[in-house]
This record gives sequence, structure tokens and C-alpha cells, in this order.
Amino acid sequence: MRGGATLSVAVAINGQARRADVPAEMTLLEALRSVWNLTGAKSGCDAGDCGACTVLVDGMPVNSCLMLAVQADGREVVTIEGLAGFGHLDRLQAAFHLASAFQCGFCAPGMIIASKALLDSHPAPNEGQVREALAGNLCRCTGYAKMVDTLVEIGREAGKGEAS
Amino acid sequence: MTRDREQETRHVETRGGEADDALQRLVEEAVRPVPALAPGSDLSAAALTAEVNEQTPALGLRVVRPDSRTHVTGATRYAADLSMPGMLHAAFLPSAHAHARIRAIDMTGAAGSPGVVATLTGGEIPVNSFGSTYQDQPILAVDRVRHRGDLVAAVAAETEQLAREALTKIRVDYEPLPAVFDPLEAMSDDAPRLHGPSNVYTSKTIVRGDVERGFAQSDHVFEGRYTTQMIEHAPMEPFAAIAVWEPGGRVHLTTTVGRITLARTDLARTLGLPVSRIRVTASILGGNFGGKNEIRVEPALALLSRKSGLPVKVVYTREEEFASSTVRHPLVADYKTGVTADGRLVARRVRLVLDGGAYASWSETTVGKAAILATGPYRIPNIHVEGCAVYTNKTVGGAMRGFGAPQVCFAYESQMDEIAHALGIDPLEIRLRNGFQEGAISPTGQVLEAVGLTETLQAAARRAGWPGVGA
Repeated sequence: MRGGATLSVAVAINGQARRADVPAEMTLLEALRSVWNLTGAKSGCDAGDCGACTVLVDGMPVNSCLMLAVQADGREVVTIEGLAGFGHLDRLQAAFHLASAFQCGFCAPGMIIASKALLDSHPAPNEGQVREALAGNLCRCTGYAKMVDTLVEIGREAGKGEAS
Repeated sequence: MTRDREQETRHVETRGGEADDALQRLVEEAVRPVPALAPGSDLSAAALTAEVNEQTPALGLRVVRPDSRTHVTGATRYAADLSMPGMLHAAFLPSAHAHARIRAIDMTGAAGSPGVVATLTGGEIPVNSFGSTYQDQPILAVDRVRHRGDLVAAVAAETEQLAREALTKIRVDYEPLPAVFDPLEAMSDDAPRLHGPSNVYTSKTIVRGDVERGFAQSDHVFEGRYTTQMIEHAPMEPFAAIAVWEPGGRVHLTTTVGRITLARTDLARTLGLPVSRIRVTASILGGNFGGKNEIRVEPALALLSRKSGLPVKVVYTREEEFASSTVRHPLVADYKTGVTADGRLVARRVRLVLDGGAYASWSETTVGKAAILATGPYRIPNIHVEGCAVYTNKTVGGAMRGFGAPQVCFAYESQMDEIAHALGIDPLEIRLRNGFQEGAISPTGQVLEAVGLTETLQAAARRAGWPGVGA
């Protein structure tokens, strides 16, 4: 059960260099939430099914409940708290906010990080790409329509920009 | 006072040049630092303040949820996100059997496990029972477990991991008992009993007219059985709570419960304290859907706090959320319906058996609502509805969106389709012929007003491109 070994990790979290001594078996999600007090990423299943814990590691969306904190050593991690300055919204957050895309909001941090990863790699995604990118993120309130519509709209606007 | 609504109402459009500017302005507004008052809608405060007898402009407007700003920044603090200095973490041991007698619980190993500060068993809870209608459910099982989601003991330790490690050192001596998992079997005389002399614990009967005479007058009689399955609410957020037994003797619970006054009453009753000593803070919920309508282990959490003198927190795993929370009742429904040759409903007899699982919870409400709605939104002169809930050794049926209404809707609408098909009548037409009209009388005698069923069905059929319905 309890390994006992503690390891030192250095992680760039939301652009800041952070260090901590963490138990070897501690997940990145647990470290973010309990060591660094970044509670934006959520634990919905702790089994990689729901996506509420999604963060970016070196730009890749990962389920932080399935990754050990020590595996993040030397890497760059971006959480929902890091998208814009405190109290601010980046354009993606603003779009979801204005669309009232969430109800209870528990899935929002993971959903937005997964969306950011999509837009970083595909600035003008079509609906199929949007649905594929959000396939690992569950929501129990909304039926996904407003989230998908919001991203498809962003993709359409971006597509217009590229075309002209 | 007259108002120029056009000027006060800012509709947000996402297409077109002017609309792009409007969206851009809203985005700029949204990305500014958090204002003192969260922007809740596109309207000015004046426009949202109604004059006497004046309807505020709301329908058809696009508004922004007032809580979505903190949701999208990850700043919303749900119960699991909260912590307090010195806080301990609790874990609960689930039953190893669907049905068993408990001979003994040995907490010695757990109490001596690393990091454990306090332990608790059901015998230490002043009034160890709860339930919204019948208080038949123990907080922690003492002498008997009735389903795998029953909890038999609790520990509070320095970390969640240490608490869970301690659970493995609890020794429970069980004597397994025969279990029953099918609600119809549970009604038979030789079925294992869960509580009293019968597993049937709540029922409702609704009678109007004379169904037997109605069947005799019918041209056709249709019979069918319709069943629905157990459904877990599966909110994204599992149950979480923090209890603080304050030195002055007051108890403060922060918990994922949607009904704080009910929770307060339950806590006072189980802890043997006046309600004035109980304070319940409802945390921001990550989904409820009815599954967070009553207390779970909050009294045990409070007692662990009293024993340790420290705040105690619990967060359920997803597995625990499935096993130890409530679910939507599975339904077995038998329908017998008499109709005329042109598809008019004459008589309907319904028998509903709701699988309530191990404890009563919200079954009485669910049986009542299912029975009242069981004949559907249709004019039927002769009806006879019998509904009941029965105990089985399964997860507890509780509140879930509609309290039984969706289950019976599946049954009566399925049979309507079968009748329409058998008589060669269009499924829309048979509903229009039988549907409630203005002034219709419900099965329980309510005279219905503002009935829009016909218009709604026709509008839905048009929108769906239903054959034979004009655009």
C-alpha cells in the first residue's frame, strides 16, 4: 500500500518553477491539488475515464490521474488556472462563458484544457475533429451541444481568417 | 413607465459584421478582471427590475449563467476542493456481502494502523438510522448488511491513503444470508425478508370507473410487460463532505447535499442534538440529479470529528459513488388496455412494481408519482392502477429526476405505439385522438388547465417532418 519512498520533483507549472518532495506513488492530479493547491483539475473517476483531471504536459493533454507526479519532473504543466491571469479569461474561456456551455461546471476545467489542446494543434477544427478531441471528457449536465457548437464556431471563424 | 426594450436588450449574435463587433465587445468585457457583481445577463439592472404586474423581459433572451465565470477559470470550489488546518481524511468499509448477519466487528488492527486518529462503528451513533419517509437505513450497519453498498465501519487518518490502508485491517465476522435480487421474487412468500414480515413496504392504488366493464366494452384488449433498468445518477462530482465538531458543542457540516434543511433535521435526529446546534453548508454541486437529496455518512463524519477533535473530510471514490449512493428505481410494469376499433382508450389496468433496493429512501414519493402518471396524458374513462415498492438486496432506489415518471412514460408510450401499429393507426394520430384537452380530468381528479398537448405534439411533428403533417 504505502511505498514510503519520497522523491524530489521540479515542474514548471503555469510558467512558474515549482519544487516538491512527493511520495513515489502520488499521481500528478493529487500533487497538483494537495501539494500545489491547484484544485481546478478535478477527480471524477481516478481511472482515466472522465477527463475532469485533464492538464497539458509539454503541450499534450493528459489524464493527470493516470500520471505519477514524478513523471512530470522536468516538464511543463499547464492547468486551467494557467490559461489567463487571475480573474481573467482567455478567448477560449470567454467563448465557453458567453455560450453558458457548462451547468454544474465540474467537467469545465478538463473540457477547456482538452479544447485548448485541440485548437493549439488544429486552429480551425471541423465538428468531427471537435467531437474526437472531446471524446475523453464526460459531462452529465448538458449533452455537449453548446461545447461542440462553441468550438465549431471558433473553427469556422478561424477558417474564414485563413481563407481570406 | 415605458421602456425602449430594443435599446436595453443586447442580443448576442455570432454571425455577420455588426454581430462580430458585438461579440468582440462581449469578449473584451468578459476578459476584464472580475467585477464586483458578476455579469449575469445582457440586460441592465433597470430592465430586470419588474414594475408591479409587469413581466420582466426574459423569454427568448440570451443570458450568461452567473456562475459560469468561475467554472471556466477553475476557481469554483467544490466540496472536494476545500480543506481545513489539521483536517483528517475518513474512509468507510463497505459490506462484503449482499445480505449477511454481522457477528462481530474487530477494529483493533485499524485503530493501531499508521496515521489513524479515530475509528467508528454504528453502535456509537446515538440514533443510527435515517430515511426520508421511513427511517430504515443505518448510517453504519451494526448487526446486518442488506446490500453491498452498506457501510460497516469508518476510520479517520492523517491522509486518505492511510485511512484506506487501515480499512484493510478491520475484521468483520459475517454470516451470509440468502439474498433476493429480483423484485417479483422478493414479493413471493418464501423470499428472504429484508426488514419486516413483507418486502412490500409502500403502495398506491388509483381507481376510476370500472375497468372490467371497460374491457368488456372494448373492441380490442392489449397486454404487455415493460421493464426499465437501474440507473445511477453518475454526477461528475462524487459525494464529499467536511465535518467540524466545534468545541462549543455545535456541529458544522459542509457537504454535497441539495436539501440543507432536511440534512439538518437528519443530523440533529441521528446525533441527538437540537437543530439549533447543527449548521449545514451546501457546497457548490458538481451535478445532483436527485442523488444528493439526502444525507449519507455525515453523522459518522461528525462523530469522527468529535472523537478526534479535528475537522474530518471524506471524498467518495467513483466505485463508492456507484455502490453506496442511490439509483433510479428499476420498474416492472404490466399494462392491460382496452380500445375501440378506431383507437380510443376505454380502460387501462396497470400494475407497477418498483425495485426499491435495500432501504426505503424516496420510494414512497416515487411510487406515488409513478402511479399518478401511469396511465399517461390520455383520456381514459376506466382505470385501475396499483403500484408498490419492494425491498431487494440491491443498491437503494432514491430520488432521481422525475421520481418514477420517466419509467412509466416508457411503458405507456411503448404500448401506445404497439396499439397504433396493431390497429393500423398513425402513432401521432392515436395520441391526438386520446390526448388530454383543456379541462381534462387527471386520474386523481385534478381538472387540468392550460393544456397544450395537442399543439405541442403537432408542433413537434411539424419540426420533425412527420409524414402527413403540414409544414
